[in-house]
Amino acid sequence: MSAFPARDKVAIAGYSQSPIVRRSQTSLGSMTIATVREAIADAGLELSDVDGFITTPLFPSLGTHAAEDGTAFVTTHWLSRRLGLTPRYQQDPQGQLPGAVAMAVNAIHAGAAETIVVYRALHNPGGSYHQNSTPQAAGREQWGMAMGHFGPIAAIAMAWNEYAQRYGASPDALAPIAIEARKNGARNAWSHWKGKPLDPEAYLAAPFINDPIRMYDCDIPVDGVAAFVLTSAERARDLPHRPVQVTAYSEMLPLRLRAPSHWPYDDMMELGEIMVERLCRAGGVSLEEIDYPQVYDGFAPLSLFWMELLGIAPRGEAHRMIADGGIDSDREEAVPVLASGGSLGNGRMHGTPQMIECYLQLARRAGEQQRDVSLALACQGVPQMGGAVLYSA
Amino acid sequence: MTDEPTSRPLPVPDAVSAPFWQAAACHELTMAQCGNCSTFSYPPDPVCLACGSFEPGWQFVPVSGKGRILSWTVVRQALIPGVADLLPYVTVDVELDEQPGLRMVARLLDGMDVPLALDDRVEACFEDLAPGVAVPAFRLADE
Repeated sequence: MSAFPARDKVAIAGYSQSPIVRRSQTSLGSMTIATVREAIADAGLELSDVDGFITTPLFPSLGTHAAEDGTAFVTTHWLSRRLGLTPRYQQDPQGQLPGAVAMAVNAIHAGAAETIVVYRALHNPGGSYHQNSTPQAAGREQWGMAMGHFGPIAAIAMAWNEYAQRYGASPDALAPIAIEARKNGARNAWSHWKGKPLDPEAYLAAPFINDPIRMYDCDIPVDGVAAFVLTSAERARDLPHRPVQVTAYSEMLPLRLRAPSHWPYDDMMELGEIMVERLCRAGGVSLEEIDYPQVYDGFAPLSLFWMELLGIAPRGEAHRMIADGGIDSDREEAVPVLASGGSLGNGRMHGTPQMIECYLQLARRAGEQQRDVSLALACQGVPQMGGAVLYSA
Repeated sequence: MTDEPTSRPLPVPDAVSAPFWQAAACHELTMAQCGNCSTFSYPPDPVCLACGSFEPGWQFVPVSGKGRILSWTVVRQALIPGVADLLPYVTVDVELDEQPGLRMVARLLDGMDVPLALDDRVEACFEDLAPGVAVPAFRLADE
């Protein structure tokens, strides 16, 4: 396969992250409008400069909620109409943030749009997020819910216990993930957990949700919006901030046929390995060259799985590395894979904190947290259902 | 586990799965077998992913119901109807003996106090959810 033709051709020129709150007083749509406007201003542009919008409108709840555009999710059509725009490029792909970024890169490189805002808006509907009142297990759920197995936390717990039993991880092995994420999230002005780090006692005192997954191994549902302005690297050079180029991306692969909420550990690693290999090939880099990997943490075990996919720890060893302070962002010799605080440390934002962290570091906008890094990777999702985007500057 | 009134979500048989649920009602575990290559699939699908046939002609054939535990979790939240009184309960990820990688997740009915380990042997049993409706589950087995 030849080099990825759009490598480093498209750049992030600006961003905005809304305050992340448990329950917003304003609608998610209103939050999105404000955040998108801020991102455009941050990039030094006007609303009229934007000719594309992309979002993944996924509202990732299996619960019984009235899910409406502008409230539970915000499509590009909803947004464009309310901004008074008729952009020539609008897409609302299924899937996750890396897919939206990939689509923006492709569209800008192809000339379908010049400047695209990629945004992600997430909503907390209130009540129990995944509570489902259906009296029937129809369709695919006849193979899952009917047998008493339901939902993403149960799916992750099953995969994590498979790993823990196989590699001898203790029941408390995930604690350093949640604690590290909360420590870093507590430093973000926009975090739901601002000023609220998590101590080990509180972690251990929280109830199990699906053993061996505890409450703080799961990100908290929130209302929040993040937006990023992407344009050609050439154009970005004339804008106020240092451009951060998209070097490569890799996305979800066709899933193995399984019953619902059945995501075995081996599926994650088998497909995740292919995804990572493709990412490196597209970027023309080796894993060792990626000096700022930011792993996903919507559920704590996913961080370990990503660390092992990226070669940060050998297979089955990441739980030992984190126990020894191996990801502590305040230690010189550590690999700070959750420097943004991710989802556990900020709220359920589906990978936007990791993307912001990569952007701020490479744009040299990280302030007191600034590091000297050159290749940053933002990972998102359950490996076989998510993706990763590699950035450089 | 029989004859207790319940409002758990009942499986809705479809054109493909109806034989599976008919057999389950008689406490017999079956698996969908491809009419072209004889590979088992769980769940069944419009396509046989082993041979690629898009007219797999699934036959639901009885299986031993025996297998080994690959993972388990404890459910502590009632996210679906009818399970609140069952909490907490264990679900297991089981690989059936019939075919490597033939995995299904269902409840383990041995209660909360039994120690579990990878590769523990299990056998299928059934929960009667309503008259004429039963769903597969597992129990620990000696071998």
